[in-house]
Amino acid sequence: MQASPQDQPDTHFGYRTVPLDEKQTLVDEVFHKVARRYDIMNDFMSGGLHRAWKDAMVSKVRPPQGARAFRLLDLAGGTGDVSFRVVGAGGAGTQAVVADINREMLAVGRERAEKRDLSDRVEFVDANAESLPFADASFDAVTIAFGIRNVPRIPLALSEMRRVLKPGGRALVLEFSRVDVPLLDKIYDFYSFRVIPELGLRVAGEAEPYQYLVESIRRFPPPATFAQMMREAGFGRVDFTLMTGGVVALHSGFRI
Amino acid sequence: MTQPQRPGHEVDPKLLEILVCPLTKAPLSYDRARQELISRAAKLAFPIRDGIPIMLADEARRLTETELNG
Repeated sequence: MQASPQDQPDTHFGYRTVPLDEKQTLVDEVFHKVARRYDIMNDFMSGGLHRAWKDAMVSKVRPPQGARAFRLLDLAGGTGDVSFRVVGAGGAGTQAVVADINREMLAVGRERAEKRDLSDRVEFVDANAESLPFADASFDAVTIAFGIRNVPRIPLALSEMRRVLKPGGRALVLEFSRVDVPLLDKIYDFYSFRVIPELGLRVAGEAEPYQYLVESIRRFPPPATFAQMMREAGFGRVDFTLMTGGVVALHSGFRI
Repeated sequence: MTQPQRPGHEVDPKLLEILVCPLTKAPLSYDRARQELISRAAKLAFPIRDGIPIMLADEARRLTETELNG
């Protein structure tokens, strides 16, 4: 007998409630549509701020200078943006593995790695964040920038992130948060719901993926709640930093 | 004149050392000729396409009885 859709747990796709297994398909479609222009759109939508946010994350990854081996896993990092920054900030012993569920994003990232002559230091793997194909304690740091809210079952991804970290290794999660500054919140709302979908249409030729983007940000748990989810996944010394008036939060936790 | 093609993408041996089956977390064996990573525990072969291991159960090939007994 087939399970009826009613028997399956639900999750959210933007503001719609969708069956859990459908969410991944819907998210995949969004990123298939935008892979090539993903980084350009990030520049447009954040006014270049995403670079500063990512740099803040990279400085906490703190890859070593010199030849000492250091291995980063960057989840949902298809286009390689974060990995290139970490490898660039570290010494010759710093390497990165980019894991993403979306092949188009990985193809764009690999092409860029070749152009930058970083193919030897950045590897690409097609993987699901909820069931990672890496041995326990393989990485010195795990990052995920603007990717965790697209994962259907976030607790599974968090516990996988912890599993693949070496003891003492650090997980860093960069994600949109809630603006709670008076007036700035009104501007942010207007920008999110009016400007971003319009930009998506004009720059990337698609409004709907960016409509999803905005809605999914609003559905994501507030920073204190997300910090608690990290603790429940077993992370220690959990904390977070709000940036740009709370537009984004940088979460951190260690595998103790 | 066309540029000489780069040699086909090969998976980095250091990456192979840390890759495991995403379902069972058991070690994989590398079939270089077929460009597959074999998980006997999950009875699946994960393809490597253009040097990128595709570690998704949905995209894996189910191993045949002959392969499992071989």
